[in-house]
Amino acid sequence: MRPLALLLAAVGLLFVAAGLVVTAGGVIGLLRFPDFYTRLHALRVGDGLGAVLLLIGLALVSGDGAVALRLLLVAAFVIALGPSLSLACSCCLGSGELRGAGFWWGRFRWRPA
Amino acid sequence: MIAFAAAIALSALILLIMTRLFAGPTLHDRALAANAIVMKAVLICAALAAAAGEDAWADTAITLLLGSFVTHAAALKFFAAGTFQAPMTSESERD
Repeated sequence: MRPLALLLAAVGLLFVAAGLVVTAGGVIGLLRFPDFYTRLHALRVGDGLGAVLLLIGLALVSGDGAVALRLLLVAAFVIALGPSLSLACSCCLGSGELRGAGFWWGRFRWRPA
Repeated sequence: MIAFAAAIALSALILLIMTRLFAGPTLHDRALAANAIVMKAVLICAALAAAAGEDAWADTAITLLLGSFVTHAAALKFFAAGTFQAPMTSESERD
């Protein structure tokens, strides 16, 4: 039992370190990139990979089964919701100087009631 | 110990994102930075859940994640339409 816990902690430390590096890269891209779309790209890619790596690592580090299961559920939500939100940012919902690229069937618009 | 170190690093990242939140040129940049801050708060809650071994922090992380998604989508709709009461239409490319 004891070497198994040590192995889990070591692998979890690797995952947490990798997730922190990728997340920090996304944040640096958010600070340094010149355009909204490039910032969106950097942040979403950095979050989508780094947060999932970090959550898997935390689920390995925590010795509790219920907490690990819920952290994996958070990772699944990040995978599901992050790309859809970035798609909403970039394509559908632009306004003003950022109109959005639209899809091949057209562009979504809000009609004021 | 690992989880506490991750939480401290994530709070340092929140301080970095706040510069983009206050200095962003457009409203979309500020909304993106605000969503990124809530995302890092989700990860801090997850780290505290792994450190303390309690379920309540993990439930807090799930709730914050879903709430940040809905809030960002609503903010995008408000930026585009100026009101929350507008129905969504799809303008076709042909006409």
